[in-house]
Amino acid sequence: MQRKLACALGLVCVACGGAATPSAFAPEWQNDGGRSIAAVEQRVGDETLPVGPGIAVGVTDKGLAAATLDGANQWSAELRLDAAPAIAGNVVVATGDGQLSAFDAKTGRSLWSLSSEGKSLVGAGDDGAMTAVTLAASGGGGSVFLAIDRSGSVVRRLTPKLDVGVPAVLAGVAFIPWGNQYVSAIDVQTGEEVGRLLTRTLVSRATGIGGELYFGESALIRFDDAIGRATAGGAHEVTLPERELPGKPRWFASGVEVQRPEASATDKIGLTARPVAENGAVEIAGERFVATYFRVALGLNALDGALRWVRSFPNDIIGTAAAESGFALCDERGTVWLVGAKRGGDAGQVALGSPLRGCVVDAGDVQIRETEDAGSLPQQIRKAVEIQATDMVSIQRFLLRELGTNQDPAITELLIDLAADARTSPALVGDTRKLLAARRNGAEYMLKALERRYDFLSDVLRPPPVGPLADALAAMREQRAAPLLAEQLNEPTLSTDDIQRAAKALVVLATNAEVEDLKTFFSLYRAAAGDEHMVAAVISVARALLNVGGDAALELVRHAANDPLTNPSVKEGISTLLPKTG
Amino acid sequence: MLCSPRALGWLVASLLFATLTGAPDLAHAGDEEKQESHIDLDALRKRLESGKEAEIRAALEEIGNAKDPAAAPVVNELLARGATVGILTEACKTAGKLQALSSSAPLAPYVQHRDQDVRLQAARALLKTKGPVAIRALRRGLRSSDAAVRGISATGLGALGAREAVDDLFIALQRNVSEAAAAIGQVCSPEQCERFAESTTKVPFDIMSTGFDQILFRSPKDMPDAQKLRIVERLQALGTAEVGRYLADVADRWPDDWNSKLKQAIEQAAQSARGK
Repeated sequence: MQRKLACALGLVCVACGGAATPSAFAPEWQNDGGRSIAAVEQRVGDETLPVGPGIAVGVTDKGLAAATLDGANQWSAELRLDAAPAIAGNVVVATGDGQLSAFDAKTGRSLWSLSSEGKSLVGAGDDGAMTAVTLAASGGGGSVFLAIDRSGSVVRRLTPKLDVGVPAVLAGVAFIPWGNQYVSAIDVQTGEEVGRLLTRTLVSRATGIGGELYFGESALIRFDDAIGRATAGGAHEVTLPERELPGKPRWFASGVEVQRPEASATDKIGLTARPVAENGAVEIAGERFVATYFRVALGLNALDGALRWVRSFPNDIIGTAAAESGFALCDERGTVWLVGAKRGGDAGQVALGSPLRGCVVDAGDVQIRETEDAGSLPQQIRKAVEIQATDMVSIQRFLLRELGTNQDPAITELLIDLAADARTSPALVGDTRKLLAARRNGAEYMLKALERRYDFLSDVLRPPPVGPLADALAAMREQRAAPLLAEQLNEPTLSTDDIQRAAKALVVLATNAEVEDLKTFFSLYRAAAGDEHMVAAVISVARALLNVGGDAALELVRHAANDPLTNPSVKEGISTLLPKTG
Repeated sequence: MLCSPRALGWLVASLLFATLTGAPDLAHAGDEEKQESHIDLDALRKRLESGKEAEIRAALEEIGNAKDPAAAPVVNELLARGATVGILTEACKTAGKLQALSSSAPLAPYVQHRDQDVRLQAARALLKTKGPVAIRALRRGLRSSDAAVRGISATGLGALGAREAVDDLFIALQRNVSEAAAAIGQVCSPEQCERFAESTTKVPFDIMSTGFDQILFRSPKDMPDAQKLRIVERLQALGTAEVGRYLADVADRWPDDWNSKLKQAIEQAAQSARGK
């Protein structure tokens, strides 16, 4: 009765299955040690999923705007989306205007359109003959699974009592994740659960990548002849190395939630990687994965998470995909940037032709080849650090810390430039100065910087970061810094903190050659020290004078210690330095 | 000449300039020659070393009022050993009143002091104490982050005839240190004065005129009439009413015993510029 009513209303096709058969998603299922899922693999494992053309599908105010990544095809479709679209092989699936629609990925030709039953798209899979779709209420719950053939007929409809994730279909078997650890393999024709995967890895989606089927969310398990060992941890699984990254990006969003059509902050912060079967295991293609953070993409080593390259873009990246040799990054202005995996160099662009609210990308079988040199890693980091935007500070601070771990002396030069550059965000200057103070190489760059003095006529309007340079050079016992630091003491544009640090360094570095500059500073400020930093500076200079200045310096300091005009705190400090008389 | 408002304005400006640069104090002209030195250096030194702020300031004021250069050594000693900001400011003023060459060296570092009052007083004093040390310090002051110090330094370099600083003064003029115009006018060679005149299209005329005034009224021994005539011709070519008024004023102030043909040329140029 229920079936007849549904057909009469035209909501589902005559061949629909209706309610789930008792075994599918049954909670009383007993762990079979992987036997059933292994049997499914035996049945369909030789089949491959179609690999799409490589496409970016953008969400615009009017609907969809799509382009293949080779730039050869562009299409659009008008509909008011209520969820992010999904790319499944050669098919693009979307819900909007009360309809569930499928389009040919390359041409945009409509394949079929059905009522979405008031629900929104969770995800889809396709094997070239059939499309598997999960729908749910936009606020969650009320999952519906549909298997739809190319004519648009619903071959199987399931309404599990629990939330199910992004499905896949392969040779008549639908793979439906649920419960965070199960994937039910359902015979689409009979509706029976013919196998079940139980994993210890969080799983909410079944997804086709490069013709292969994977299950997972934070890691991916390959559907192959090892799948039966998944319960025991013996399946072919790939994870990304742990790295503390700003925004805590994820490889995949939860597969059981409806993803909004507009990109949110979590869409702009994510991980992208492509698993590939290699040497009997699953590895990450190109040994690279990408972490995106708004306008910046980081290329990270897939083995240890080490930073390998950084790309900065003019607009936020809202959709990404990984190809075998590179990445496709879709920005909110509708440009899809292709970058090489190894060095992050440019490999071309594709324009979707309009600003986007959201974007999904599938790399398909596109080949990405770097054509332009991306520059050195320090240069790339500098470019990212120069972006003036408050939402970039977290990633910029991360990149600065990465710079600090690099022992190349050229990094010292970069840090000096950043610390002295008026364009460097104030939020980053403190970090830059700290990193500079901790450097123990690049002395030549430091000395060159210290030669710079404020000079209105020569347009040198910012002094160098004297304080951190003084700390570093003193730690390196770099004597050549002494005359430069002594001159900088009497530079009125320096902060008193920088003066204090320069003076402290001179306790270690000063020689007799600096005595005159030290005496000048001491005399000018022993009675006129304006704050605690200057007091400390004067005391340090007194100490330096007593080290290298001989009897004349001793007399100078002694006089100051006895002079009522001397700043009381200075007097107290220098009195302790003097040799006891009598 | 004294009746015209513009001429009166020039007279006031000249008096101010004279005050800043240490031109002879008209009120005391001749007094210094008549005064005997009654300086008790030891007593002054004792007071300046008393460590009492009020006592030191009073001593400095007395020294400054007496204007006896013989007191310079004790003021120099105070500057060399340092003091509070208040005392330093007074000490710099006093050194300026004494106008002793020996004070330039202890004053020089104070042009870069962190306290603005101190550095301004030091720069002003150097204009009066003069000498190569003062010129070096004022050249450094021209590069200062303090605009007031830059202005005083420019004025000082001109007053001290620092020809070696003329290139710096040109840069300063380009970077809107307006006092550099008059300074350039005081020290430029004929060729440099031509170069100065070329800036007329880039720098407002009221600033440029302070430089032209210095050039045109430099002693004939120092600036040939032929060069002055070239400057006048350049100004005439500008052809604005403002230039015309300026040239007319120059003609009014032209010394009677200077080249009368040049004066005629200035008058004609003024008429021509006004007529356009």
